Amino acid sequence: MSHIRFEGIGKSYRGRPALEMINLDVEPSSLTVFCGPPGSGKSVLMRILIGLEAPSAGRILSNGQDITRLTAAERSIGYVPQSFALFPHMSVFDNIAYPMMLQGVPRAEITSRVDQAAEMLRIRPLLSKRPSQLSGGEKQRAAIARGILKNADIFILDDPLVGLDFKLRESLMEDLKDMRTEIDATFLYVTADPLEALTMAEHLVVMDQGHLIEAGPVDTVYYDPTRLRAAELVGFPRCNILPGRLDMPGAICTTALGALQVSLQDGAAATETMVAIRPEDIAPAASDSAPLGVGEVTLVENLGSEAVVYVRFGETTLVTTISAGATAHVDLGDPFPFMIRPGAPIVFERESGWRIGRASPVLAGTRND
Amino acid sequence: MSERVRESLYHALLWLVSLIFFAPVFWIALSSFKTAPQILAVPPLLFFRPTLANYARLLAEPAFQHHFFNSVALSVLAVLVAVAVSFLAAFAFSRFRPAATNFLMFLLLSIRMLPGSAAILPVYLMYVAFGWKDSFVGMTLFYAMFSIPFSVWILKGFIDGVSPRFDETGLVNGASWFSIITRLTLPQVFPGVVAALIFNFIFVWNEFLFNYIIGGINTSNIPVMLATGLSNGGGIDWTFLSSLTTVYILPPILMVYFFQRYLLVGMTFGTVRGEV
Repeated sequence: MSHIRFEGIGKSYRGRPALEMINLDVEPSSLTVFCGPPGSGKSVLMRILIGLEAPSAGRILSNGQDITRLTAAERSIGYVPQSFALFPHMSVFDNIAYPMMLQGVPRAEITSRVDQAAEMLRIRPLLSKRPSQLSGGEKQRAAIARGILKNADIFILDDPLVGLDFKLRESLMEDLKDMRTEIDATFLYVTADPLEALTMAEHLVVMDQGHLIEAGPVDTVYYDPTRLRAAELVGFPRCNILPGRLDMPGAICTTALGALQVSLQDGAAATETMVAIRPEDIAPAASDSAPLGVGEVTLVENLGSEAVVYVRFGETTLVTTISAGATAHVDLGDPFPFMIRPGAPIVFERESGWRIGRASPVLAGTRND
Repeated sequence: MSERVRESLYHALLWLVSLIFFAPVFWIALSSFKTAPQILAVPPLLFFRPTLANYARLLAEPAFQHHFFNSVALSVLAVLVAVAVSFLAAFAFSRFRPAATNFLMFLLLSIRMLPGSAAILPVYLMYVAFGWKDSFVGMTLFYAMFSIPFSVWILKGFIDGVSPRFDETGLVNGASWFSIITRLTLPQVFPGVVAALIFNFIFVWNEFLFNYIIGGINTSNIPVMLATGLSNGGGIDWTFLSSLTTVYILPPILMVYFFQRYLLVGMTFGTVRGEV
């Protein structure tokens, strides 16, 4: 199993940086998702790892061996590109068998392994067809089958589900997870969709504008981000971000939602801040308890099992989620008394974007300064 | 006037214009089945007992066999060389985009636009100096050279339309560039290759000037034979002329007829990917 290390990887095109100082370890047999908006550099990083582009700086180690100067063919990495890239003049079978044909695998073994992969991805009846006869989802399954049939222990899937409808994505995500468990390889998965990233990832790497913003186990990145940008980029619905001001002593952060008592990390000082609160950490207040505030419902998006509710509170619009059962009681224009889960808000220094602590709402009469 | 009548009139007009353009071809083909008095009869004979004697005489004629062989061999060889070289050049221009690619492409096409008469003198002097005059290899290379620019233009348009992701998929899986070009790219631009082959074949097949000047007894083709070898006892040998011309125009006509869909796609330089 391969351990991959990116050491100071940089890439620029005609003097314009696309990647800057990427340092990252990818654990063997892990499923690491690279997430970030378009243009964040995640696909460039993958192209450098595959060997389709050379880095302007830094090196890549695989199991301690420097592979930076190896050709794509020498790296033994399976690749599913963003576009399907199925050869239109070959049958689905020949497309899937292509990597093994190049590797000189005996015909009988090729047939058996193609059949096995096609069975797993439920495309067996399509093997004799041409790619032009397949639907988008079928093409993608064929492309995935071709990618994983290369004799490799690292596989890169570059936004493999882009453009597919939701149901198909959901089913393919399950397939991919099962497949990874089965072949026990290192998977690097690229997506711009935060929901897909959270669904797929064991480890999550957040990238933005050529920088690695955050990396770690998916729960840590989601619930305990160290960078404001990571909190912004990862999560669906989007995280609530509110400006605030941290005053010392007492570590009280004043925001549009009122005062928050901040539990500071070492070395923090009075400063301008940004406070991130996940939608699920804002909840309707129980009828027998005093709410933190009362907003007005401006929009309800029903997602089936839950609904996203937009609540205007003063000048601020908060995003929160409620269960499907509760939507019957929420209408546009209704008052929405809400609470914030103590300890959930994360406070970041505004200028640097680094986390400086966690906060809890200060309810009337509980302020301790 | 109803829409239907107007449409019928348009169609009739199209047929009429087409028949007028086709009339000389029809006349020469018809004449090839006549005897000399029948060809020269006034008014022209439309109904007559056809004869194959002209073709029997033509096919038995050693000069015809020699010129026909030269025409076929020069056209096929030159076109194969030209398209093979052009395909590699077009692939390089499309994928590796050397500096000033657009200017280089303009230069290539501008060479092709040069009228033959402007190039004939330097080419003649060069061929004489090299000792290539009336050389089969020299003529083949000349026609190939003249066919390459246009072929590069056609093929680059087609190769541009093939996603580089296919190349990358090949590279990642261990394919060589040769394998990528021949197994992944070539099959996808097959209509363009056929179009380039046909355009160039017709050019070389019809070429007279250079064959006449830098060719000679060993390499002269049918156009040269048509222009120089048809007088018989002071007059034009109409039976020989008509049968030779019919045999000469048949290959391009058949090619255009059977491959017209490729030609249409080729004329768009690959920008319209017709289902062919």
